[in-house]
Amino acid sequence: MENLDAACYKSSELNEIIKAKMRDGLQDIVIRNSHSMHNMCVGLTGQGNITIEDSTGLYTASFMEGPRVVVEGNVGWYAGDDMMSGELIIKKNTGCNVGAYINGGTIVIYGSTGSRVGYGMKGGSIIVCGNAGRWAAQMSMGGNLIILGELGQQAGESMYKGAVFTRDTNAVNKLGGNVFLDEATPEERVMLKELFDQYEISADPSEFKVIRPATSGRHKYVLFKPVLKPKAAKKFARGGEFRE
Amino acid sequence: MNEETKVKEPTDSVKSLWHKDTLAEIDYKARAGKHRIRGCATPRRMPNFDDLMILPGQLTRMTIDTYREDCETRTVLGKRFAKKPLVIETPVMIGGMSYGALSKEAKTALAKATSLVGTVISNGEGGILPEELENSYRQSIQVLASRMGFTKRNLEVADMLEFVYGIGAKPGLSGHLMGSKISAEVAELRKLPIGIDLHSHPRSGDSFGADDMIIKMEQMRELTNWEVPIFVKMAAGRVREDIKIAVKLGIDGIILDGCQAGTGAAPVMAADHLGIPTMPALVQAVRTLEEMGVKDEVSLIISGGIRDGADLAKALAIGADAVAIGTSALIAMGCRVCMRCHTGNCSFGIGTQNPEQRKNLDIDEAAERVANYIQAMTAEAVLLAKAAGKSKLKNMEREDLRALTLETAAMTGIPLVGSDLVIGEGFGFTANNKI
Ligand SMILES: Cc1cc2nc3c(=O)[nH]c(=O)nc-3n(C[C@H](O)[C@H](O)[C@H](O)COP(=O)(O)O)c2cc1C
Repeated sequence: MENLDAACYKSSELNEIIKAKMRDGLQDIVIRNSHSMHNMCVGLTGQGNITIEDSTGLYTASFMEGPRVVVEGNVGWYAGDDMMSGELIIKKNTGCNVGAYINGGTIVIYGSTGSRVGYGMKGGSIIVCGNAGRWAAQMSMGGNLIILGELGQQAGESMYKGAVFTRDTNAVNKLGGNVFLDEATPEERVMLKELFDQYEISADPSEFKVIRPATSGRHKYVLFKPVLKPKAAKKFARGGEFRE
Repeated sequence: MNEETKVKEPTDSVKSLWHKDTLAEIDYKARAGKHRIRGCATPRRMPNFDDLMILPGQLTRMTIDTYREDCETRTVLGKRFAKKPLVIETPVMIGGMSYGALSKEAKTALAKATSLVGTVISNGEGGILPEELENSYRQSIQVLASRMGFTKRNLEVADMLEFVYGIGAKPGLSGHLMGSKISAEVAELRKLPIGIDLHSHPRSGDSFGADDMIIKMEQMRELTNWEVPIFVKMAAGRVREDIKIAVKLGIDGIILDGCQAGTGAAPVMAADHLGIPTMPALVQAVRTLEEMGVKDEVSLIISGGIRDGADLAKALAIGADAVAIGTSALIAMGCRVCMRCHTGNCSFGIGTQNPEQRKNLDIDEAAERVANYIQAMTAEAVLLAKAAGKSKLKNMEREDLRALTLETAAMTGIPLVGSDLVIGEGFGFTANNKI
């Protein structure tokens, strides 16, 4: 095990040191004094366990391929963006857009997350134990987003592919456009159980429903159109007062 | 006056506001209740490089022999920070045209053409086709808001990266690819359902604004070991302000796409009414880079309606380091600009995914035609440059130019032909008759 003091380095230097240590076969690295540093653990490749003892800034573990990164504190926006594989475990809460465009691997957030978690995700799994903000999995192209707490509005907006698992009893009123709420399949429940066991999350897979894309074919996709309401506008006729 | 001798009254036909195209547009909307999409570029007449003339060297400067002497065309792009700048043999790049908008055969042919002439091709939206990567001389990879088909593997093969903020044909809008073009193969690369009408992601999910983008840029530099030149591609709009922000992000270069630029599919409204034309956009970009004192560091690639060596020579004279071409390369392959690329129905096998139509494009022949075209257009630019007394194409300078019209003089700050009249914002010329 190796202890590194993040306060002594720039993020790129720190990442270089971690990479070199992992190349030398060191398996466990602990980093302290991260002080919300941006770009921590960017592009790490190979095997290793990196524990960051406090909070991190933007882009934590983005483009990562292989290692397991555990953040004891909170994490800023865009953590795990474009991640390829490996695990990013966040013990507290995160900012927005976590797991944007991830291709693979697993992100576990034990706290809550902001808006657009899993934006454009293409693979992998993101588990949010707390609540998620608006537009979860917006325009995703694959992967599984699992939210244990409350969903924000517009969940799954215009997903192309992938699945959002939710047990929010009000989910049906929070759906974005071009998605629908469905029952989970037995295989999906097994997958959830395995993930919950692996990450020691106590939740019952049978409580979960799935938000799925409605993009099964051409022209099913509904896009924005201005809504013109001539009847509603009638009251403004003949000098009716108009207030925005 | 009796009936026979009565003078026949002419029928009025309205040629201005209500001409037949306008009527057809209204008829379409009246029936369909929606706006129209089309391929290619705006058919509107815009100011362009034809409104500039190049001054030949006579007594003031010696010309270079067109037929025997050298004129260097090798071009280095992205040397501001990147450790491995891009070196290409001609300042003509093939702009990003997506696999999806174009057939696999067309993409492969374009890539092969770059190997024949030694230039760079950009992949466009929706991932990189293995056939393109195998055949390209240098490969630019786009990082778009959709990130379709993009992974870390793409960074590893890139000779150049482009963060795409917008394209000239539909700035402010995201990519369109109509369902008829999302074949099984295209869908596989993009991770999309087959046959869906695609309106891709509107904004980058991993940087919401310039402050984040600065940190993102550090991330990208680290991932690419500071080796790969990083460009932003943007549509010409508020050029001055956008360029200032781009420079501050720490990029190596800018691809600026004017409003005459082509596309595979864009709403007619967007193509016709968004953005500003290529030539004045270029002038404004050059002015801004000069104002910031980074003109020599930041590479500037201009695109949108570039057709021949004259456009190239004039763009370089204004201050571009290279041009990017799209439509003209497709025309070289056989495209006749029917403007219906969006339908996916292209009998030339270029803008289609239809297996039968794709057979109509012979890859090697198409590659050769595109290569010939780039070669010839480079030769045309060289001819003009030599006549202006340059032994390097990049030595074309704005002093070699004059404006044909008052409008162009005002837009560019280049003096009007036959006078030293300089109008409007300066561009380094001393005026005798400044208005
Ligand atoms: C068929 C087609 C597809 C295009 N696809 C993309 C794309 O995926 N990404 C992009 O940045 N620009 C795209 N463009 C724009 C070109 O990269 C380039 O900016 C434009 O073609 C330049 O204008 P020109 O066609 O007048 O040369 C496309 C253009 C065409 C004609």
